[in-house]
Amino acid sequence: MKLSLTYAFGVSNFTVFVKPPLFRNLHHSVCLSLKPTPPPPAAAAPLKHRMPLFLRPPTYTAPMSELHKWHEWAKSLASSVGTTFEDLDNGPDSSLLCRELKWLVEDVVEDQTLPSLTQSEKCERNVGVRVSLEELYKLWKERIEDRRPFQYIVGCEHWRDLVLCVQDGVLIPRPETERIVDLVGDVVLDNEELREGLWVDLGTGSGAIAIGVGMMLKSWGRVIATDLSPLALSVAAFNVQRYDLQDVVELRQGSWFEPLKDLEGKVAGIISNPPYIPSENISGLQAEVRRHEPRIALDGGVHGMDDLLHLCKGAASVLKSGGFFAFETNGEKQCKHLVEYMETAAGDSFCNLNIVPDFAGIQRFVTGFRK
Amino acid sequence: MASSLLRKRTRRNNLWFLHPRTLTQHLLPSSPESQSQSQKFPLFQNPPNSIQNHDFSDSAFSKFLLKSSKHVASSTANVSGRRFDSQRRRFFGSQTAAEPSTSDGLTVERIVANGWTILDESENDWKSHAAAVAQSIHLIKKRMKWKKLLVLLDMLTMELNKPDLWNDPVHAGKVSREHGSLMGKMKGVNAFERELLEHIDMIKLAREENDAELESESLKALLQMRRISKEKELEAMLSGENDPCSCYIEVQAGAGGTESMDWASMVMEMYKLWGQHRHYKITVVDEMPGEIAGIKRATIKVDGEYAYGYAKAEVGVHRLVRISPFDSNKRRHTSFAAVAVIPILGEGYTHVQINESDLRIERFRSGGAGGQHANTTDSAVRIVHIPTGITATCQNERSQHQNKASAMAVLQSRLDQREMARQVQMNAQHTQSLTDITWGNQIRSYVLHPYRMVKDLRTNYEVSDTDSVLEGDLDGFIMSYLSASLDKDEDDR
Repeated sequence: MKLSLTYAFGVSNFTVFVKPPLFRNLHHSVCLSLKPTPPPPAAAAPLKHRMPLFLRPPTYTAPMSELHKWHEWAKSLASSVGTTFEDLDNGPDSSLLCRELKWLVEDVVEDQTLPSLTQSEKCERNVGVRVSLEELYKLWKERIEDRRPFQYIVGCEHWRDLVLCVQDGVLIPRPETERIVDLVGDVVLDNEELREGLWVDLGTGSGAIAIGVGMMLKSWGRVIATDLSPLALSVAAFNVQRYDLQDVVELRQGSWFEPLKDLEGKVAGIISNPPYIPSENISGLQAEVRRHEPRIALDGGVHGMDDLLHLCKGAASVLKSGGFFAFETNGEKQCKHLVEYMETAAGDSFCNLNIVPDFAGIQRFVTGFRK
Repeated sequence: MASSLLRKRTRRNNLWFLHPRTLTQHLLPSSPESQSQSQKFPLFQNPPNSIQNHDFSDSAFSKFLLKSSKHVASSTANVSGRRFDSQRRRFFGSQTAAEPSTSDGLTVERIVANGWTILDESENDWKSHAAAVAQSIHLIKKRMKWKKLLVLLDMLTMELNKPDLWNDPVHAGKVSREHGSLMGKMKGVNAFERELLEHIDMIKLAREENDAELESESLKALLQMRRISKEKELEAMLSGENDPCSCYIEVQAGAGGTESMDWASMVMEMYKLWGQHRHYKITVVDEMPGEIAGIKRATIKVDGEYAYGYAKAEVGVHRLVRISPFDSNKRRHTSFAAVAVIPILGEGYTHVQINESDLRIERFRSGGAGGQHANTTDSAVRIVHIPTGITATCQNERSQHQNKASAMAVLQSRLDQREMARQVQMNAQHTQSLTDITWGNQIRSYVLHPYRMVKDLRTNYEVSDTDSVLEGDLDGFIMSYLSASLDKDEDDR
């Protein structure tokens, strides 16, 4: 099932939705296995498994009392977690899960002006919902029992002032990474050449950084976002389209600098959140990350620096003089190592190297300029 | 009142020809020198009689106009001499500072003092209507703290008169804006007052002339005024500078563990429901839940017109007496929750300038390596304003960026409020932050056992339907407090 979806994504962009045969079959198999009735309208069916919940049409109805029942069940499931996950691998505790539950309701229930679910025990009024009740039970069970990330459950991540669609196989953008866009904002503020230049987001995933920067540059500049994964690129394409940035953000498939051979020495800025976790740490990661997020977006080799070092080398040749870069790292150790590497091994290519902490106080980003 | 007569009469075709005396009176000020002025301020909308009946030389506002008109005159090189100045000054002065009267010298104050019996609206008695409206105007002025406004206007005018005012354009802009808005506020009341006196004049005139049509028309107009005046009384309760703002409501649980945390969340729920009744937009900004139930503290944002004006009546400590559901021995408990209200000053208000370098922004509950290591939907942010130590937290938004923006807005409002408290002592009771509120400052008591009663300790207003109050039916309490606090002090009129 998941395979065929991935395949569908792989072959083309979202234009594939208009080809009915493949998706009609898909839809049938899904409906039969999960939920025999009621079949949603055929047009909406192909979107069902990749559209984030909040963008789906409210094709289902459920009585408030039933939703209430589900909500109570979900709450008690969340409460039963206590601090178990937190103690185990720094996972979410009950209060965080309860907040996620609130957001799930926000994304699923059509009418947000309804009285809250906690008070609707006896209310038989029907409300429009974007997934069936059975699906709701299944989704929340996945969240708690399989530790499936909340963002994959609802199909989106709120990041900066954006709502980005994400799905299994694509890294969920992290709150720390929001800062990269601010860093770019700071340097383009009084630098016209950078503001109107060409920016590159390497390993864009859902397109978060590229879209964040693209929103800021708008008509002034241009962003090229690359990724090795066709799935990530198609999700990024969808997000770019949703923010109407097709003219600003261009997507290219390939590994790091490979798709940028035509741009040597022409790029104004490079930004990237490459995989940086040392391979040996992968098995100890929080269950949401370890079990569900793509390893290819996390594993940075033995010391976690493989890709970062590769980016440094490439940056020297792709950036034009005066060009800016900002890379996210695993923390203080990698930041220092990277700065040291750039000052010595990478020749005399960079200047104004700087280490910037995230809001948790961890040395997170390395920034600098091409001489 | 000649002007009004003239106006009415003009409207009623050419009746005014019958009163040449009034007409000459009227035309008098329209001498050649002031033609430019009369174009700008059409005579028929002025009360020029005031020019003859009153001397405004000591009015605060007139000084300002003297100054400003001179300024205008000199800057446009269109000097039309002292008479222009004085007329213009008088005209403006009469709009605010003067006490309007009828042609036989009846003023609102005198009507109130006469103590005419106020009958039911259905009784078609002009004295009764007039007395009711006059009483409303009296109350409105008291609520607006009219005398204080006059003093304030005087101060602002003096400020505007300073020759070096525009050396500091920011300050000058602020002064002239404040002056303008104060003028606007006072003009409205004056216009209402004048309208009342005009109608009285009309009625008297109509009686003299046996004009039944005019009399019934004027009577109708008075009745209409009487109805409107009730609304105006209500509006006047919210005449504070920040009253139209949106606001934050903060609730903090007192000592007493789970029982008082539960009470704090009941209080918060009460405000959420109250806000919904009033069609305000309610957003939870920050919430620190209790371990077992309830909240330790929480902040909600209440978006909508006059949210602060109403909610400020809720500042203080709220006390609950009930059999605690958390006590297995079913004993009676008393718990407390403190409520603070912070106005959100919109555009056009002066905000405290915040330097980026004075801020420390931190992830609220960080732990572990972060970054790619962690998948979390928790992106709570705490902002500390280092010079003051004031902090703001937000955790209910779905992205860190939004949490930060939200926390910044709270911080801005807290700093603004602190600045206001520093500057304006007279409004001190509403500018308390949670930390300033002492637990002895009880404003309301909610007893659910052994009897059921919610009683406001400031006004003695009480309601026995405790459920309705806890479901947000607070307007009775709010209105009674607002009117009591505004109407108590006779000197404020």
